Amino acid sequence: MRRDVVAKLRQDGGWYALLLPAFLLLSVFYVTPILQVLAISFLEPEPGFSNYQRIATNLSVQRVIITTLRICTITTLLALLLGYALSYTITLAGERARRWWLLCVLVPLWISVLVRAFAWVTLLRRQGLINQSLQGAGLITEPLELVWNEFGIIVGMVHYMVPYAVLPMLASMREIEPRLLAAARGMGASRAQVFARVFLPLSMPGVVAAGVLVFIFSLGFYITPAILGGGKTLMVAEWISLQILDLIRWGLGTMMATLLVVTILVTLAVFSRVVNMRRLFGGGA
Amino acid sequence: MAQSFQQDCVELLGQRLERGEISRRAWLAGMAALGASPALAQGSRPLVMVNWGGIANEGFGRFYGAPFTAANPGVAVTQDSTGPSAGRIRSMVESGRVTWDLCDSSASSSFLLGRMNLLTRMDYSIIDRSKVIGPGFALEYGAAPYSFSSVLAYDSSKFPNAPTSWADFWDLRRFPGQRLLRRDALATLDAATMSLGRAPEQVYPIDTRAALRRVAEIRRNCVFWNSGSESEQFLRTGEAVMGQIWHTRATVLNRESNGRIKFIWNQGLLQAGIFVIPRGNPGGEMAQRLLASMLANSEGQVGLLGLLGNGPTNPAAAAQVPAELKPNNPTDPENERLQLTLNGEWWGANYQQANQDYLDTITG
Repeated sequence: MRRDVVAKLRQDGGWYALLLPAFLLLSVFYVTPILQVLAISFLEPEPGFSNYQRIATNLSVQRVIITTLRICTITTLLALLLGYALSYTITLAGERARRWWLLCVLVPLWISVLVRAFAWVTLLRRQGLINQSLQGAGLITEPLELVWNEFGIIVGMVHYMVPYAVLPMLASMREIEPRLLAAARGMGASRAQVFARVFLPLSMPGVVAAGVLVFIFSLGFYITPAILGGGKTLMVAEWISLQILDLIRWGLGTMMATLLVVTILVTLAVFSRVVNMRRLFGGGA
Repeated sequence: MAQSFQQDCVELLGQRLERGEISRRAWLAGMAALGASPALAQGSRPLVMVNWGGIANEGFGRFYGAPFTAANPGVAVTQDSTGPSAGRIRSMVESGRVTWDLCDSSASSSFLLGRMNLLTRMDYSIIDRSKVIGPGFALEYGAAPYSFSSVLAYDSSKFPNAPTSWADFWDLRRFPGQRLLRRDALATLDAATMSLGRAPEQVYPIDTRAALRRVAEIRRNCVFWNSGSESEQFLRTGEAVMGQIWHTRATVLNRESNGRIKFIWNQGLLQAGIFVIPRGNPGGEMAQRLLASMLANSEGQVGLLGLLGNGPTNPAAAAQVPAELKPNNPTDPENERLQLTLNGEWWGANYQQANQDYLDTITG
């Protein structure tokens, strides 16, 4: 028995040695800075928990957290709704149509987030395409305020996030056995019942996975809110950057960064019990 | 950066001097023959000036760097446009691996970073205080070879009467339409204070609470800019009809719109373009000499006004400005007397808290 363990270790030891460079690289360039961030959040301006106490006491800190959570939640819900409709359509489409649909979903993924934000500005601003068309058609007299507010930010973020919502849901929907749906129909269920009682429950793992992915991605958004928010909305990522670069309050900035990392890890930990995370990040089917 | 042949010759000569193969006199003669100054041999690394990008690279290189190299053969000056924010300077100095010599910073940052012992004190035996127009341009931890101003710009096609002060800026009834402010308390709270009727000489110390309340009054009718190009865009596309923007951008808008977008110098916030030297900079004292040469070089400053619009700070410069540039020169005596010089010391002491409160006010 003991000999087995030793033999196994000797056998596997080679593989671990091959992993060593990657491990060292990651720990030097990734883990160490994160630990530094953690350390600063407890050491500045004086050692202790003062920065973390501000989560409970400081209005500014609370506001940025609440704003971020609100925008991310709305973005996630809308991206899931749109993404679900898209995935459903793609799943039911024929082979040829499906390929075109997929292309249309994937192309925006390859366009820079900056370009997309500016494209939305030209569409949404006061003298932008939408307002001018509506005014030209005589539907409105004053331009609508479509941008420089949370509405504009959410439009930009949802647009960015829909592909990320589609891909996990599509993977999960394509695993649903079509004969189950046919069987349900054969046993007298209406179309709505088939969807609500068979398709929807079976697609739920994909929905949860997509929701986690979109929510986590949204938490760190920086460029889209900065460009479309007109300076009137502050989300966590930009707040951290302000504390670090301009206000030089590193203690507060690193506290928020730590909070962000912890939030993401906790979200992942909770939902990894519900869905298969390996599928979410590209492992497996 | 690859080493040039000339640099290699300088290095070889230096090695021979160190080994005692040649005398100091022969070394100096050799250096002169190579067109290099002894300073180059010590570090043989160029001085690094750091700016915020755009055509500053070209402007600062041509009007600050090149004249210095011409006067000090062998001392190259390179431009870096990383953006020397206070946070970046702090992390560089604290890591102990400083690669920047001279950073385009601000008065408030110079006080803030100076207090944290992250900057080199100005050496006024090298830098000549008499080469700047006022005490706010030669500080303990920085000096300003250029100036700029935060002015009131407006779309003249939208108003029958022109606004003349910050009080008009805040008057949404007489001057309806979206406003544009910088997403930074600096110069904004000063303008808000003047809008309350305080005389320019009584603006400091700023009553931050009153000024923030004033900003809160109009924040629903405001958009806020982060970068200069963004401020230009907001006014050009009609997203805002009146704004507080940098005079450099206002000048461009005025020219491009054929005078439709105008700006006024009255109650503008004149600011010093303070350069700072990070503590432990690689070029050492040579950076002070470079800064001194920038302050003394009134011709270069006028050249920069022509290219970038930055105002000169050398007292002799205003007279050298060509007539067509005078209306756009913030430190032209005619324009300067209308403006208020921003109090960098007050801002250095209050920036962190005031700016956080400002951000909370406008994003609340």
